[in-house]
Amino acid sequence: MKHDVSSHTLSLLNRRNFLGQSATGLGAIALTSLLSKQGLLADQPAINPGRPHAARSPHYPAKAKNVLVIFCAGACSQLETWDYKPELIKHDGKPLKNGPPVTFQGPSGNLARPQYEFRPYGQTGKMCSDMVPHLASMVDDYAFIHSLTSKSNTHGPAENFISTGFTLDGFPSMGAWITYALGSENENLPAFVAIPDPRGVPQASVNNWGPGFLPAVFQGTPFNSKQPIQNLQPPKSIAKKTDVAARDLLKLLNDQHLKRNPKDANLFARIASYELAARMQLSVPEISDLSSEPQHILNMYGADDSKNKVKADYAKNCILARRLIEKGVRFVQLFNGAYATAGQLNWDGHQKLREQYDVHGPIMDQPSAALIRDLKQRGLLKDTLILWCTEFGRMPMFQKGAKGRDHNPGGFTAVLTGAGIKPGVSHGATDELGFKAAENIHPFHDLHATMLHLLGLDHEKLTFYHNGIQRRLTDVHGNVIKGLLA
Amino acid sequence: MKISNIILAFVFASGVWAADKKHWSFQPVKRVAVPAKSNPIDYFIGRKLRENSLTSSPKADRITLLRRATLDMTGLPPSPESVKKFVEDPRTTEIAFAEAVEGLLASPRYGERWAQHWLDVVRYADTHGFEVNTPRPNAWPYRDYVIEAFNKDIPFDQFIREQIAGDQLGKDAATGFLMTAARLLPGQIGKDTESMRLARQDELSEIVINTSEAFLGLSVGCARCHDHKFDEISAKDYYSMQAFFAGVSYGERPIQPDDSEALHKQIEELKSRVREIDRAVAGFVPLARSGVERASVNALLNVERFTPVKARKVRFTIKKTNRLEPCIDELEIFDTEGKNIALASLNVKRSASGSKVSRHHQLEFINDGKFGNARSWMCGETTGWVMLEFPAVHTIDRIVWSRDRDGKYNDRLALEYVIEVADDSGEWKVVADSTDRRSLIKIVKGIVRPGPERHGNAGFKNAYDGDVGTMTFTTNPGTTTAPQRSILAFEKGAVHNLSHIRINDIAGNDNNGPLQQITVRVTTDIDADLAARSYSDVTNLSIEMFSGDANPLPKFSITGNTIEHLDTAHDGFYSIVFDPVPGATGIELEWKNEGNFKHWTIREIEACSGALQKPKKRRSITALDPKQLAKSKALMMEKKNIESRLAEISKSRTVFGGKFGEPEPVHLLKRGDAEQPEEEVAPTVLSALGDLSLAKDAPEADRRLTLANWIASAKNPLTARVAVNRIWQFHFGAGLVLTSSDFGRNGAKPSHPELLDWLTHEFIRSGWSVKYMHKLIMLSDTYQQSSRTNEAGRKVDADSRLLWRFPSRRLEAEAIRDSILFVSGNLNFEAGGPGFSFFKSRGGLTGFPPVTEFTQREFRRMIYQHKIRMEPVPIFGAFDAPDAGQTMPRRKQSTTAIQALNLFNSPFVNDQATAFANRITKETGDDTSQQITRAFQLAFGRQPNPFEAKAAIASAKAHGLATLCRVLLNSNEFLFIP
Repeated sequence: MKHDVSSHTLSLLNRRNFLGQSATGLGAIALTSLLSKQGLLADQPAINPGRPHAARSPHYPAKAKNVLVIFCAGACSQLETWDYKPELIKHDGKPLKNGPPVTFQGPSGNLARPQYEFRPYGQTGKMCSDMVPHLASMVDDYAFIHSLTSKSNTHGPAENFISTGFTLDGFPSMGAWITYALGSENENLPAFVAIPDPRGVPQASVNNWGPGFLPAVFQGTPFNSKQPIQNLQPPKSIAKKTDVAARDLLKLLNDQHLKRNPKDANLFARIASYELAARMQLSVPEISDLSSEPQHILNMYGADDSKNKVKADYAKNCILARRLIEKGVRFVQLFNGAYATAGQLNWDGHQKLREQYDVHGPIMDQPSAALIRDLKQRGLLKDTLILWCTEFGRMPMFQKGAKGRDHNPGGFTAVLTGAGIKPGVSHGATDELGFKAAENIHPFHDLHATMLHLLGLDHEKLTFYHNGIQRRLTDVHGNVIKGLLA
Repeated sequence: MKISNIILAFVFASGVWAADKKHWSFQPVKRVAVPAKSNPIDYFIGRKLRENSLTSSPKADRITLLRRATLDMTGLPPSPESVKKFVEDPRTTEIAFAEAVEGLLASPRYGERWAQHWLDVVRYADTHGFEVNTPRPNAWPYRDYVIEAFNKDIPFDQFIREQIAGDQLGKDAATGFLMTAARLLPGQIGKDTESMRLARQDELSEIVINTSEAFLGLSVGCARCHDHKFDEISAKDYYSMQAFFAGVSYGERPIQPDDSEALHKQIEELKSRVREIDRAVAGFVPLARSGVERASVNALLNVERFTPVKARKVRFTIKKTNRLEPCIDELEIFDTEGKNIALASLNVKRSASGSKVSRHHQLEFINDGKFGNARSWMCGETTGWVMLEFPAVHTIDRIVWSRDRDGKYNDRLALEYVIEVADDSGEWKVVADSTDRRSLIKIVKGIVRPGPERHGNAGFKNAYDGDVGTMTFTTNPGTTTAPQRSILAFEKGAVHNLSHIRINDIAGNDNNGPLQQITVRVTTDIDADLAARSYSDVTNLSIEMFSGDANPLPKFSITGNTIEHLDTAHDGFYSIVFDPVPGATGIELEWKNEGNFKHWTIREIEACSGALQKPKKRRSITALDPKQLAKSKALMMEKKNIESRLAEISKSRTVFGGKFGEPEPVHLLKRGDAEQPEEEVAPTVLSALGDLSLAKDAPEADRRLTLANWIASAKNPLTARVAVNRIWQFHFGAGLVLTSSDFGRNGAKPSHPELLDWLTHEFIRSGWSVKYMHKLIMLSDTYQQSSRTNEAGRKVDADSRLLWRFPSRRLEAEAIRDSILFVSGNLNFEAGGPGFSFFKSRGGLTGFPPVTEFTQREFRRMIYQHKIRMEPVPIFGAFDAPDAGQTMPRRKQSTTAIQALNLFNSPFVNDQATAFANRITKETGDDTSQQITRAFQLAFGRQPNPFEAKAAIASAKAHGLATLCRVLLNSNEFLFIP
């Protein structure tokens, strides 16, 4: 919290001091608000109300320009993916000494060995599970962090925590923070796109891409290869030329109105928003149309897998994600897994983990791996930070009477690669059974701080005044994790 | 008001507010002298403008003024008629405007607009939030309470007390305030004790946050984990405040039924509509004795319609029943106006051939207006008659009678009967009889055999005996998904030509989930072993399902012979009719529930054999052509909706207003960690503001009332200031203190501290009247000045914080939507009650798919929505509508391309544009020029200028009036408070 008075940001979009060039002849007008005269706008993004998504400079030179998050909803087990625990194999079937008798869903059972075999991959020889062979094949490019912790053991609040830094409802999502700070490289597309899984929306649903108390302009726009943006096109009953005529008449009336209320930036911004909307109407269908993708690309992602429809649909979402990154969209949040359905449609393996992961693994693995590979081969990883993550980990024990693992916010894994990331490292560790983070423990805030850092943003300076507090993505926490940086 | 005098005395005795010399808002309110004859608001604003070398703007023109005031106070544009009246008012603007403001304040639309501002602050929603986000079906009484409080101008100090302790002040619904936060449901909280303690702390924390921010403008919640960084609020202060709420838990509480006048009127209106529907639907029933076959008699309701006839007496003679003496719960006779003239209250005389009398059965009950077996007439013999005699001759055309309109009994049903009328001549004339009714068919007797997975079918034992009683079945443990089966085998030796199965009232009666499906199969085998049994070719059965004539078809689909997704709320009588199966030996029922230990019930199953009409003729059962059928279905649907609404608003209600119990001990928690309790604390007000404290074992109710009185005191330096500043903010878009929920050190300083104090003083002096403050503000030159920008103002103060012009601003989401519906002529002003839904379902995998087909119900004002926490409302959510996750003391005003797409392209807005165009055509006729004028008047409150008119006419001629309307609804002028 930097200033004794900090209310200026409340009128963020009302500020008239950054009017853009315009066809309406307004021109750039240097206007000064009382607050800016007092020199209180130092660290805040300067937002042009007519072009809220115009690219803005970070606090300091950035390593990464874009972010792609692959979020595995439902809590994908660290023990069945990246956190290899040979001791757990030895203790299979034995009780966890001094372990909790009751966890989130009920009584604990005995320790259970990883449900997949692990084997070494790449130069680094990192042990990865047989559930993720495609992703594992690029293991030398990745940085692992095995010692993350969450503040909640409930899916909704925990997804809130990963996406907003708070367990409560109503805080801005990380994508919103980042587009608020940096705008976008492509103003013809939404600056922040959320791509829900073909099986449905994740547990915390819109919270994952909501604006919280930031202006609505910074919220994520949800769409995927199956579900287009709502209201992107006029109703079919409206003929093209009628639509064009309506736009022209609207412009005419708005210009008349503006003449009577000259130099009002809010009015100008609304006129500009219709122009941007018209451009989006053209650019969004173009980017969503995958028909131009060659066969070998479809193959690589598994988008033509006729035997696994869900995988093919998720693969199409992955291709969409690549196309968005390619076009300069600032933040892409790609979801794998849907709403809680006893683990049938997401990673929430309480009862029969192996059986369900045998379904979920192939859906996630090849397409996600292809996405990373494709970005790399196109040279986009230079500017793009990729984060694979989930809301929390799973217990080393099975639940009593079940063949699955309960929620475990005490230690879980995320994978990073791309811009600014040191390849081939494994940072932090859980204890020998994978129960709790034991070495270099990092609450997820630290990963937020690291992400912002790579984007050239100081997580303590990126603030927005809300209700008595200069709010941050990292609350009052957060330390950049140096061990992950190149 | 039952405020304890002792407590009040206590408050005032301790009421020496600790004056914090360092921070302005903690100091007592100061009254500043204002020169005589000047308007104090204009005086203070003017002085500050002069200090900055600025001047205020000239007065806005009358159209602008009325539009500004109307949008500001009601969230709707002024009608062209009110604009005309105001513009043409020969009196001075000052007088005419003062009168207009009075009118706006008296409108019920005012409360609907201003309540939303308060709901933003308290983050009201109709769902629990977080991942499951399930409904809070009884949150809305609080929303209605807030609307009413604004409309009635409840003194704001009372408004505060009621929200904290309304249970003790006769305002139960008001304590919904304590429960407005998102909350984890028990099933979402971990089973471990740490998770449970944390969840409880989160719940209490939300109450503290809401109370301190909404009323005191202090972010006390910050001190949960550590002493406040900026304000003098310690962690101990936080937990001491929490202690006032230590006996509050989340949940529902009963409230007294509301017998307010408006509600009574609403009930009468709804009832009258039901009568209209009854009459309209009866019109679809074939006339008796017209040669068209009528539906078979049923226990629930029978309509006899005939050509109008003069009647003094009506006689109902029963010749045969299905069993025992006949019983009729009500006999209604309608005149051609649709009025029931048979009621005992209208001096109608009764007589009968004989009556069997008991507590439930008396002759007087036949026309007492009450339904059900317990209020019915029973004939003395198995045949006989009952007669009603009116005081005068009436012209009648319809008789409605029933055995048991509650649907519990279907024995003692008159199968053969004749109805006669006589006028004063005394000559009897038959108007209806049973000869043209489809005959009921022979009911087959049988026994029950358990299915392989069931042991004992006690519930089914009486399936065939005609003695209806509820049979309940429970799914066994471990059979979550496996369907279960039972055989209803017919009596041995009998050969049946089975053609009809009737199931009386199937319902999954478990609140946790409906019965998923029942499959009905007819078998021709006699093997008792279900697994080995063979069936007749069921897939080729021609199965049709209908309910009694008077009942709308229930909401379920029929796939083959499977009845799926049974509605728990449904109650009715279903028939499965199919081509006769010769040699049928039994029926097999297979049912499926969603989980262990789920229950479902049926009342009776009847298997019927006998000659039925061939499928082609079946249409004549109801004698409705498809058009009529559709129309009657729609009417019956409407009736069902009205009846459920009636039931909803008539029943005694509950509010999600919290439960009050024994307070838990409250401890200071180290770093806010529920696992690290330190010293126990007593309920104590913030130490920087006072020293009022209660004992650690103070009774629950005293705690909240004490806190409420302390907050709502004129001596509290924050409360009235915070309230006044909010009122100012909603008029001008920004408060005198920009951070309207933060009057602490981290908040903004007031732009006009003396004005804020002057207003605060006036507010208290007026008895905390919010409407008085509106008048003070709106009648000032400051409010009435033009919103045009000028160079000088822009250079110094672009945001117009100093108010050198009226700061125009975009309307909020609710006002945009409501205004669109208002000008299209579709806005439904129905007020209060459960909210309408913007979404088809309650979340889960599909999220919340938006409703895309609208009825009048969805055209109510947006404040009456069933507000889904966190989920943006389709189209309008993008206009910075708050998500009710965190408090929203002041909305943002962002401008996005998504807003433009939604408003320009959505089917909703385009449909309303079409409705708008139709309305104009209806009101003005075919002349394009007149149409355009009317369109501008409705949308903008003014005439088009010649340039606009020319363009608009050209566009309307080339592309239709709806295109112009679409443009107007998207225009800046429509969307801004000028």
